[in-house]
Amino acid sequence: MLIPAAGCMSVFSGLLGIAIGYTLPSVEKSVPLVHITTIGKYTAIEAVRTRVPLMALLVLAVLLGASFFIRELAVTEATRFQIGFYATAARLCAVFMISLYVLASITREFNDKGLDVLLALDVPRSHYICGKLAGFMLTALAVAVIFSLPLWVLAPGAAAWLWTASLVVELALIVALSLFCIVTFNQLLPAAGFVAAFYLLARSLTAMRLMSAHPVAGQDTLSHQVTGILVEGLAYLMPALDRWTETAWLVNTTPEAGILLVIVLQGMVYLTLLTAATLFDFHRRSL
Amino acid sequence: MPTFAGLTDERTLRAVPPAVSIMLALALSLQLLWHGLQPAPAARAESLPPAPDASSLRAVSFGEPITAAQMLVLYLQAFDNQPGISIPFLDLDYDRVTEWLAAALQLDPRSGYPLMMASQLYGQVPDARKQRAMCEFVHAQFLAAPDDRWRWLAHCAIMAKHRLKDQALALRYATDITQNASKASGWARQMRIFILEDMGETESAKVLLGGLLATGEITDPSESNFLTERLQALELTGKSSTPSESRH
Repeated sequence: MLIPAAGCMSVFSGLLGIAIGYTLPSVEKSVPLVHITTIGKYTAIEAVRTRVPLMALLVLAVLLGASFFIRELAVTEATRFQIGFYATAARLCAVFMISLYVLASITREFNDKGLDVLLALDVPRSHYICGKLAGFMLTALAVAVIFSLPLWVLAPGAAAWLWTASLVVELALIVALSLFCIVTFNQLLPAAGFVAAFYLLARSLTAMRLMSAHPVAGQDTLSHQVTGILVEGLAYLMPALDRWTETAWLVNTTPEAGILLVIVLQGMVYLTLLTAATLFDFHRRSL
Repeated sequence: MPTFAGLTDERTLRAVPPAVSIMLALALSLQLLWHGLQPAPAARAESLPPAPDASSLRAVSFGEPITAAQMLVLYLQAFDNQPGISIPFLDLDYDRVTEWLAAALQLDPRSGYPLMMASQLYGQVPDARKQRAMCEFVHAQFLAAPDDRWRWLAHCAIMAKHRLKDQALALRYATDITQNASKASGWARQMRIFILEDMGETESAKVLLGGLLATGEITDPSESNFLTERLQALELTGKSSTPSESRH
């Protein structure tokens, strides 16, 4: 199963270059975004062919089964337990899946020299990055929708809608972060480590800021002051992911829809930052 | 002349289009501005949630109930110090505290940690009702394993006597230790006698003290001498002396 899949991927990389090579001369001037859409389209097709949606459905089935088990164990508030477990686990699994998929896909492209072939053609580097980003985001959208399906049945509709939309933005950000990391570090392990560390830190940064601002003891010590400055500095550079895609929305009170606007705006700002950083690094990369 | 080109896999900064550099600077500025516009996070106290069911916890502990119990008590212990705010123990919902402690004890019955927390930590608040709640919890758990848990009930007996000023409650706890915890230390098993003495129940104290000496449970000569002297003093005076002064 793996060998044909790997073969297909090699063929796919070649086909991608050929497709762009054929389409470029006729459409370059009339449709300048053709590179991006083509690369994006084939990136999304790659995700389908490497069975990402199927894997998402499989994970969904496992998590849903586990959530029903938790529901049976609970003496009271059974549905609350089930939703809480499923939402938390699904969010983590979605982030893990998408991040690893992006990292592995780009690593494979680097190793197969598909990128070299592609850039030997008249394709601007920024178009490659934007195309990849578009394709991965489409995949992330599909994964977010798949994972949220059970919540549309179990949780209130408005809450499920907000949760899903927030997960889409969160996964889009993870896609951009993963792309930035793999372009910058080139290696899977440091890139995956950075993504994991960044995500965990972004989800605990608010708590760290609060603890740093109101310590139980030792407020005047130098170490505490240095830590406080460091944490506040990090907060300037990182999004507060702990306020996104909250399970509390599903099991407690549904928040105002305005919260989504804040998340989308913050997501757009940070996506732009990550994309610019990726482009910056990619333009400096010597192939 | 050798060239150094190619030693690094990075191109110069000139290779980056100006538009990308401008976009990066703009995006970074926007991110900093965005963060600057956001209100600072406010600490808010969260009430203690209901304790999870012990059987559910056992199921999700991956076969490590002791670790799960330890995590449970550490979570409870740290609950008073939530990020950015410190909640006095007094403000905690003690019914829920009791649930959490019971769940931890169910997962790890050999651990004395939950009982220590109940008697020494949560039982120290200046609220008689909450002190009694913790003592009752310890008493209920003591009855399940008296020989392992007598020391925590002994602490509660002392607490009932000196803090709650409830001699009857102290006597009840001391009596349960004497009757149920055969492996308890002598001082704990004799506590009942001294409480009775303090209550003016000298006759009962004499009977118990005499019984204790007659059964040969006391093997230490010094302890035996001390208790014999106490018995003689009780018989001579026929009334409650001031034993607390000599016992401290």
